[in-house]
Amino acid sequence: MAERLFDEKTLRQLDQLTLVANRVRAGAMKGERRSVRRGTSLEFADYRNYVRGDDLRRVDWNIFARLERPFIKLFEEEEDLAVHVLIDASASMDFPREGEGDPKHHKFRFAQRTAAALAYIGLASGDNVAVTALYGAGLNVTWGAYRGRGRSLALLEYIGALQPAGDLDLAGALRDYAMRYPRPGLCLFISDLLAPNGWRDGIAALQGVGHEVAIIHVLSPEEIDPPLAGDLQLVDVESGATADVTIDAAMRDLYMRRLLAWRDEITAYCRKRGIHYATVETSTSWETLIMTELRRLGVLR
Amino acid sequence: MSFLAPLALALSLLAVPIILLYMLRLRRREVQVSSTLLWRQLLQDREANAPWQRLRRNLLLFLQLLILAALVLALARPYAEVPTFTSGRTALLLDASASMNATDVQPSRFEAARRFALELIETLSGNDEVAIIRVAENAEVLMNYTNDRTQLRAALERATPSKGIPDWNAALTLAAAGAKGAEKFTILLLSDGGLPSNLDLSLYGDVRHVPFGIAAQNVAISALATANDPVRGAQIYARLTNYGDQPAEVIFSLSLDGTLHSASPHRIAENGAVDITITDLPPDFRRVQAQLTRPANSTLPDHLSLDDTAYAVYTPLRAERALIMSRGNPFLERGFAALNVWQVYRGDPSRGLPTERYDLYIFDGWLPPTLPDSNILIVNPPPEPPPNNLYTFGELTNRAQVLRVRPDDPRTRYLRFNDVNVRTFRPIRADWADVLVEAEGGALVLAGEFEGRRVAILPFNLFDSDLPLKIAFPILIANLTAWYQTPRALSLEGSVQIGQTVVIQPPPEAETVRVIAPDGAATTFRADQPLLIYAETAQTGIYSVEMYSGAELIRQEFFAVNIFSDNESAIAPRAVQLGNSAAAAATDTPEEVGQREFWSLFALIGLAILAVEWFIYHRRLGVPRLRSTAARRFSRTARRS
Repeated sequence: MAERLFDEKTLRQLDQLTLVANRVRAGAMKGERRSVRRGTSLEFADYRNYVRGDDLRRVDWNIFARLERPFIKLFEEEEDLAVHVLIDASASMDFPREGEGDPKHHKFRFAQRTAAALAYIGLASGDNVAVTALYGAGLNVTWGAYRGRGRSLALLEYIGALQPAGDLDLAGALRDYAMRYPRPGLCLFISDLLAPNGWRDGIAALQGVGHEVAIIHVLSPEEIDPPLAGDLQLVDVESGATADVTIDAAMRDLYMRRLLAWRDEITAYCRKRGIHYATVETSTSWETLIMTELRRLGVLR
Repeated sequence: MSFLAPLALALSLLAVPIILLYMLRLRRREVQVSSTLLWRQLLQDREANAPWQRLRRNLLLFLQLLILAALVLALARPYAEVPTFTSGRTALLLDASASMNATDVQPSRFEAARRFALELIETLSGNDEVAIIRVAENAEVLMNYTNDRTQLRAALERATPSKGIPDWNAALTLAAAGAKGAEKFTILLLSDGGLPSNLDLSLYGDVRHVPFGIAAQNVAISALATANDPVRGAQIYARLTNYGDQPAEVIFSLSLDGTLHSASPHRIAENGAVDITITDLPPDFRRVQAQLTRPANSTLPDHLSLDDTAYAVYTPLRAERALIMSRGNPFLERGFAALNVWQVYRGDPSRGLPTERYDLYIFDGWLPPTLPDSNILIVNPPPEPPPNNLYTFGELTNRAQVLRVRPDDPRTRYLRFNDVNVRTFRPIRADWADVLVEAEGGALVLAGEFEGRRVAILPFNLFDSDLPLKIAFPILIANLTAWYQTPRALSLEGSVQIGQTVVIQPPPEAETVRVIAPDGAATTFRADQPLLIYAETAQTGIYSVEMYSGAELIRQEFFAVNIFSDNESAIAPRAVQLGNSAAAAATDTPEEVGQREFWSLFALIGLAILAVEWFIYHRRLGVPRLRSTAARRFSRTARRS
């Protein structure tokens, strides 16, 4: 995994993409982001009644002259945005392994690239970016938070060096992160969501802190349409649990239905909770990922 | 249903390990997946369908047990008892003679006999043994006594009808040899009859006859010959015979060297014959082919077509021309004219050699400046150096006391020179020549081959000796004539009957002899023996015998092979005189009990079930190579959501 995530050419493309993404977001992604708070920028936001104690400099005298009532002119506050990139680093992301499928479809590798791209875009647009690999409660490894394009090389190096390992309690790890980094912001969560103990508590905790959560659900084609047949003993690479399955055409069909139902269930949950959610196959090309899938996610436009 | 090999049924015990294997369940292959989460959920879903799942598994087991049952039944060789013609040890004599080619039974009598034999073999019992003997020009054992149906069937499939005349004696003797040690022995003749009437079949034991053939209608060319009449020239003689019991109309067409010469219609009374003599033929042709065809409006069938074609070879008679260049020598002229081989011409030495070619030049007291390219007899050579340095000569001598006549030479056969007196002669030496008669002073008669010609020299004047008055003179001329003439390699009168051998006497200068059959098959002999025997006359037609010296064709002769057998052409089925044996009547109803196996049916059923099992198994385990439609559906709905 020590190899570089992007070559120079891709990075240049990514730079361009960043710029494109910037412009498209029309100020929302500018280095200083519009805040819910009213502040001191040049952009007019609203009027409100003058109350005692308000700074007289901010009274709109033109209005006062016309209406003979003082109004305070409010301006947009522009702040930076906290971008939290969370990567599921459980062993289940280390798939497909050598000999079990197309190595190009490796989920963690894909997650690394996606995380790196998102974080890079964040840095490039002046956001406060933190990247965390989730290994479990108390075990999470975090880079940042940093600002500025100058950090991008360090960012790529850091993400590139990450390795998936271990049996992860996803909900616990997420909860832990929510407690440690309470600064609310955009929380981009990249995972396969294959967590035997569930993950919804963790997401709920993130939302509870005030994060805007986006889930990028990564699945390899080998999981969607498993190239398996016969009498098999399936071994979970994460937990080591086994399942005896005889896979035939009917079984494959059942699996497919099960997978679709699972996905639909997650979609419904996320819609209900106002969570951005997108399923991405690891066979998706880079361009499609940035231009289509992440835009559909609603965090890039 | 009974079984020939009931012991094989014990193999059904193999069902036990099959069932055991199923009970023990196979060891599962371990495969790592990213998570078993979904699979577990799936298995929980599936629990509801468990009975069905078990049934599916058992379906395969059931099919496999069925396959085993079918295979075991097939191995046990089940059979049903059916009536058959023969049991015990049987010699099948399959008549493959020319008449079996008759098509009155479709597709032919031989084919019908073959099918009968195949059917018979299908009903062989376990202990029965059958040998198949093909009866043609010679009897051939296609398959010796065996119970193996496959081999017997293969032997029958190999059998082909011949065009020859069957050798029943040999075949029956061959068949009877198998009787030794057999409890029950039968000879079964599959034939249309026509066995020689002097054959006493009762000698051979239990002989039965299964007749084939129903009709007699057949017109044949029963003879075809060429003749050479000095007066009328070439003649062709043919005899057309109608063996049927209705008058027949035919068209007789004659081809000479491959081109149609004449065709004439003939009407032949029932059981009658028409003789045709054709004169008025071109002077020079070699190969004659006669063909019988039916007029277009004829409805009468001709069941045997083999004998509708006949072949002959014509050898034109050509007198050899001898030129005597002499100032007058009645002895020589008379001597050669007396042999009707020679057409004798006289030439005048003072006018030189005529330009036309002669087969033999006789130079008496004169020699041309160059030797002609033919055989030469030189008598009394002039005392000048001969052309082409033919010989060297010495001084005239009178020491003509005969010392020796060359022994063991066809040129000196019956030749006695004791009483011949020669006054003077000029001794001659020539290393190419054999000295036939030697006198004290030198050779009196020499002969040999010089540059491709045969040259004989009598180095004395006939008028200076009493040789012309002695008996030795005509003998010498006759011997030399035989030597000058090229002998024929084939001494055949008429045509050869199919299957007969042909003796070829190649000329001494021939090195290889090639015999080319009508179908183009060539047989090459090395001509290192005085007589070569060619036996592959299994086809009718004209065979070409080519004699080569090195690569050069030095002579070509032809011979014709025909059927020409009344016995074969008369295709009316005839009863076989079976002697006083018990089964004196022709057999055409099966009387004995045979066993017809039908294991192949079970093998086929087993194969069919195997195919079904394979299909079901693979439908279960099928790994689609392309992304399944379900996976595409996943991607599609992912995009939509």
